Amino acid sequence: MSSLASASGLAPRVAGTMIRREVTPLLSSSKREVRLRVLNLYRSWYRQIPHILMDYDVPVDQDKCRAKLKEIFMANRDVKDIRAIDMLVAKGQMELRETIEVWKQKTHFMAFFRDSVQVKKTDFMSKFLDQ
Amino acid sequence: MIRPRGRMLNTVCSVAHHHFNPSSSLVLPTTTTRSLSLGQPLLQAAKQPPAVVPDNRVELFIDDKRVLCEPGTTVLQAAAMVGVEIPRFCYHDRLSIAGNCRMCLVEVEKSVKPVASCAMPVMKGMRVKTNSVATRKAREGVMEFLLMNHPLDCPICDQAGECDLQDQSMMFGNDRSRFTDIKFEGKRAVEDKNIGPLVKTIMTRCIHCTRCIRFASEVAGVDDLGTTGRGGDMQVGTYVEKLFASELSGNVIDLCPVGALTSKPYAFTARPWEIRKCETVDVMDALGSNIVVNTRGGEVMRVLPRPNEDVNEEWISDKTRFAYDGLKRQRLTLPMLKNAQGVLEPVDWEAALTGIAAKVSRVEGREIAALVGGLCDVESLVVLKDLLNRLGCETLCTEEAFPMNAAGTDVRSNYLLNTKITGVEEADLVILIGTNIRFEAPVLNARIRKAYLHNNLRVAVVGKKTDLHYEYDHVGDTIQALEQLANGEHKLSKDLAKAKKPMIIVGSSSLQDADGAAILANAIVLADKLKSGSSSGSSDHDWKVLNVLHRHAGQVGALDVGYTPGAGKIKELKPRVLYMLGADAGVVTRKDLAADAFVIYQGHHGDAGAEIADAVLPGAAYTEKSATYVNTEGRAQRANVAVTPPGMAREDWKILRALSEFIPGASLPYEKLEDVRHRMADIAPHLLRYGAVEEANYFKQSHALVHGSKRPSHSGRALAPPQTVLEDFYMTDSISRASRTMAKCIQAARHHKTTKYSVS
Amino acid sequence: MIRTVPSRLPLSVSSSVVPASSGVWQNGPRRHQGTAAAAAPAKPKKTKFGPLKDEDRIFTNLYGRHDWKLKGAMARGDWYKTKEILLKGHEWILNEVKKSGLRGRGGAGFPSGMKWSFMNKPSDGRPKYLVVNADEGEPGTCKDREIMRHDPHKLLEGCLIAGKAMHARACYIYIRGEFYNEASNLQVAVKEAYDAGLIGKNACGSGYDYDIFVFRGAGAYICGEETALIESLEGKQGKPRLKPPFPADIGLFGCPTTVANVETVAVAPAICRRSGEWFASFGRERNSGTKLFCISGHVNTPVTVEEEMSIPLKELIERHAGGVTGGWDNLLGIIPGGSSVPLLPKSTCETVLMDFDALSAVQSGLGTAAVIVINKQADIIKCIARLLEFYQHESCGQCTPCREGTGWLNKIMWRFVEGNAKPEEIDMIWELSKQIEGHTICALGDAAAWPVQGLVRHYRPAIEERIREFQEKTSAGNSPPQLKRAASV
Repeated sequence: MSSLASASGLAPRVAGTMIRREVTPLLSSSKREVRLRVLNLYRSWYRQIPHILMDYDVPVDQDKCRAKLKEIFMANRDVKDIRAIDMLVAKGQMELRETIEVWKQKTHFMAFFRDSVQVKKTDFMSKFLDQ
Repeated sequence: MIRPRGRMLNTVCSVAHHHFNPSSSLVLPTTTTRSLSLGQPLLQAAKQPPAVVPDNRVELFIDDKRVLCEPGTTVLQAAAMVGVEIPRFCYHDRLSIAGNCRMCLVEVEKSVKPVASCAMPVMKGMRVKTNSVATRKAREGVMEFLLMNHPLDCPICDQAGECDLQDQSMMFGNDRSRFTDIKFEGKRAVEDKNIGPLVKTIMTRCIHCTRCIRFASEVAGVDDLGTTGRGGDMQVGTYVEKLFASELSGNVIDLCPVGALTSKPYAFTARPWEIRKCETVDVMDALGSNIVVNTRGGEVMRVLPRPNEDVNEEWISDKTRFAYDGLKRQRLTLPMLKNAQGVLEPVDWEAALTGIAAKVSRVEGREIAALVGGLCDVESLVVLKDLLNRLGCETLCTEEAFPMNAAGTDVRSNYLLNTKITGVEEADLVILIGTNIRFEAPVLNARIRKAYLHNNLRVAVVGKKTDLHYEYDHVGDTIQALEQLANGEHKLSKDLAKAKKPMIIVGSSSLQDADGAAILANAIVLADKLKSGSSSGSSDHDWKVLNVLHRHAGQVGALDVGYTPGAGKIKELKPRVLYMLGADAGVVTRKDLAADAFVIYQGHHGDAGAEIADAVLPGAAYTEKSATYVNTEGRAQRANVAVTPPGMAREDWKILRALSEFIPGASLPYEKLEDVRHRMADIAPHLLRYGAVEEANYFKQSHALVHGSKRPSHSGRALAPPQTVLEDFYMTDSISRASRTMAKCIQAARHHKTTKYSVS
Repeated sequence: MIRTVPSRLPLSVSSSVVPASSGVWQNGPRRHQGTAAAAAPAKPKKTKFGPLKDEDRIFTNLYGRHDWKLKGAMARGDWYKTKEILLKGHEWILNEVKKSGLRGRGGAGFPSGMKWSFMNKPSDGRPKYLVVNADEGEPGTCKDREIMRHDPHKLLEGCLIAGKAMHARACYIYIRGEFYNEASNLQVAVKEAYDAGLIGKNACGSGYDYDIFVFRGAGAYICGEETALIESLEGKQGKPRLKPPFPADIGLFGCPTTVANVETVAVAPAICRRSGEWFASFGRERNSGTKLFCISGHVNTPVTVEEEMSIPLKELIERHAGGVTGGWDNLLGIIPGGSSVPLLPKSTCETVLMDFDALSAVQSGLGTAAVIVINKQADIIKCIARLLEFYQHESCGQCTPCREGTGWLNKIMWRFVEGNAKPEEIDMIWELSKQIEGHTICALGDAAAWPVQGLVRHYRPAIEERIREFQEKTSAGNSPPQLKRAASV
């Protein structure tokens, strides 16, 4: 049976063995590689900030932008999956392109600075009084 | 009702049902029958087990589908059994057959002319073709004639979008017009009639189906509508310009297949396709009529009936239908507290609840009392009771009174409409005691009239003589007359005792004062007498005789969860804090309370209750909350949220729950509506069995208590229900009192009395 | 004779309506002829009909030359041994009427014997009624009024005998409101009959209690339809009822009722006295008896005359009405049975026999036998348009096709009169009339449709000619713009 199963490509169900799923990489094949991609993206954004501020008439200065950049990158610090990081990097590149090409408008850019959503309280009294 | 689900080949599913129900008692075509109908050799049929067919059933074929039905069924009804819908305008299930629109013409094999399927009784072996060329041609012809003089004013017609003529002309009409008259002289124009503030008439649109006329004379019992003129000049109207003086008049709007009769208050306000529909129940009387609340943008636009065979068939009273504008006026939208100057001042919820809690905490629990009105839902009643019980308060009363001697409200059978509304159709005698049922429960009265017309129901009335739209034996005006009847001394006693299925309906309106006990006791004695007389003749030992008809939608629910009927206990107690939940009848005044009493009013309208309050909490009306109401039969039904409460108003149970948070040690454990409902199920499980009637029992025991004790004495007053003429009908609660439409109705009814065309 | 009764027969007989093309009678008679020919011994077939000999006339005071009161009537043989007839029992009377082959004289021509026998179901406690339809309103018809004003006792005796045949408790004579003098005479006759003990309690001493009431209508053509008549008699608006249930089941005041025409009832005594065979000896088979013909229109001497059934139409007109004004060749067309049957063209009029089957064979009907003669000086389109106006006015308005359709037909017809129409509207009016015919509650819709159908069937060229003339006239002078445009294209 087991030979049949393995022949047909199914993982043999043997007690104690770890089942590994092999996946094809999106872009990066190693942690090193993906780290490089992240750093490259960060650098590109960092260097672009003065130009962005020239293109967009927005009420933020370079320091604030750099702080926000760091904050956004650090928000994903716990992502460990290489594929997920690749995806985030790709998205970040898209954002960057859209920003550089001024495909965004002011409000879109300022959305980076929007405060995070306040969590509403769900207990009965708060709901009653705040409704 | 249990319907047979599984169906064996060639067997007949039959469901005994009073009315013709398309989904019941039908025989679906089987392969056998189909092959038979196609003229296959008989041998094939012989192989099948013989169908079990009762002798009196008639077999016929609709579009080659075999149908078995009772003799006397019409072709149209038989077609409905196999799901073939034949277009019609004049035919209506609940009205007599007119057969004059000719839209339902179908071809019948071996018949020269097409036959009007709405009027043609089924005959053996009939082969009806509902979609043949001849049938379609006949329909197209009739449709063309109907459209010939029908104005093309759909864009400004309120019926557009829900118009039978529109729909059927799309479905069954011709696809091109022949109205190409080169000397066109215009369509027929008919003067509009003014028949009152509710029904708007645009008579040019009338297609003379006479549904409204038949409704008025058969169901509503007023022969106000009729036709005048002949041929193309025929007009539907009231003969003379007068009010269509019926408490059920709005139903003709639903019946009218075109836009000839539309709703006046709703005119030009909304379109059916922009409306949201919410199925809910009505609270204007204690029947709990099923309704659909139509809303648009958080506003109730109109109220329509929802068919429910057991409650309202498909009728609703005018108050149910038109009092909705009262939901938009005189509403309480902000919490209010009295300030130092003694003036109510809007505050926010926290301040209001804190202020109230401070006052409530200051007094002892037994010095608190609660008074609830007639429109309260069971949820809020339960939460209020739990809250006040936690504080040590046991004085929770309803505004509506009920005699508490003998079994009082301890036995449920004492205060319910035990035979149920449908019982009227089985009964052969109804004795109405101290109720003007025509105004206290118009839809039930329509059902009594129906039974009166079709089942030879006999009606006797104890109480003031009023026009009930059917003939009745008047027993007498006073309690003495009732007593005589109960003792078998009345001249009608012998006659009435012959009834096999008698019903006694006692109006709760007559039980409000000290004489209530005597009235109810006599009614119970009479009920037992009639019951013992009837059970000897009839086999139905479960037949219940005694019924109480309530006036308020919330009353049975309040009694079911243990409220004390009547404000007597409050008046004795002179409480220092009074919590009024929707109590607007003005039963308790400041004089009945302690001098420094703090009065809290919670409700949806600034009516009598809010006037004497120190604190006002805005609640939700019946269209604004998910709530349970128990109707006079003991049938729990659920109202749903059609719109949100206005302003800062909240659902009532939530207000009470929030208040509990501010009173130390009284915090209630309900977070969600489900929690409240669980609690309700603990108290009385039937409150959650929506749609079903929880039947009462212990008749014998409770009646024994009456027989055991001395018959209560009484003043011998006349039994005069508070609503006697049409104008009394329209305003009975805080919602209808706030309604402009109802005010106009009263005005019209008063004016009608002064005209020479008023009957009574 | 064994009659094969069609499974569902319409019971409607009314003075006003003539289902000439009713399928029952298109199919029925032929079938009967076959069976009758096989069953009956060879009898020399009658080939010549009319003129009626004087001794065979039933209505001997048709022209009012004699006393119409009881004395005169008795002198003419009315009320003679009526008691004996009654004592022979209802079976005998029914049998005689069946033998006579009498068909309803109100228009539909339903066999009276059969109709009366429908009433002989065992009683369920409800009384039975005979209602006599004296609401003679059909344009062109004036036979019942002659009976009622000159021979009312014939009618009353007929009522008694017919009532006995169907076990009726009472008889209501619904007389047209406009017939004032007729109603007066009838009322006088009823009084005389009561006083003489001929009707009322123990009528004619036969032990049979029978009352006759005269009821005056309020003047609506539709009240001549039997169920509308019943409604009217009950005090309601005269609007036809749905059938089924037929009046024989649920009629006047919810009781079994037979509605019969005046002439039908009035010939019953003669049939009983002189035997059904005598009556059956007149006319062709299945169209037997004598009949009152009312000849009006473009004839030299308009007249109501009793003649043998199946008399040729041409002979009827030439012999009794002094011929067509301007000679027979000046004839344009004839409406043979009152306004509600289709027209006959001259070619047909030459040979057609005046009876039910012959006329329905030429797509018309005997109706009330009111022959309306139209000669070439008349505008045939206008004649029919006038009839349509009548039907529009008299439509009760209850059911859609008739209420709306008669108005539409009328509008188009009057445009045809002018010629202000399009040629394709001729086909349209034909279709419209087909759309009304057979789709209504009562036969008034049919009655309105048939004249139009007759016109289109036989006189289509005349309408087309009129339209062409109109267009020429308008395009020659001040032509309407749309016509000009059409010409330029």
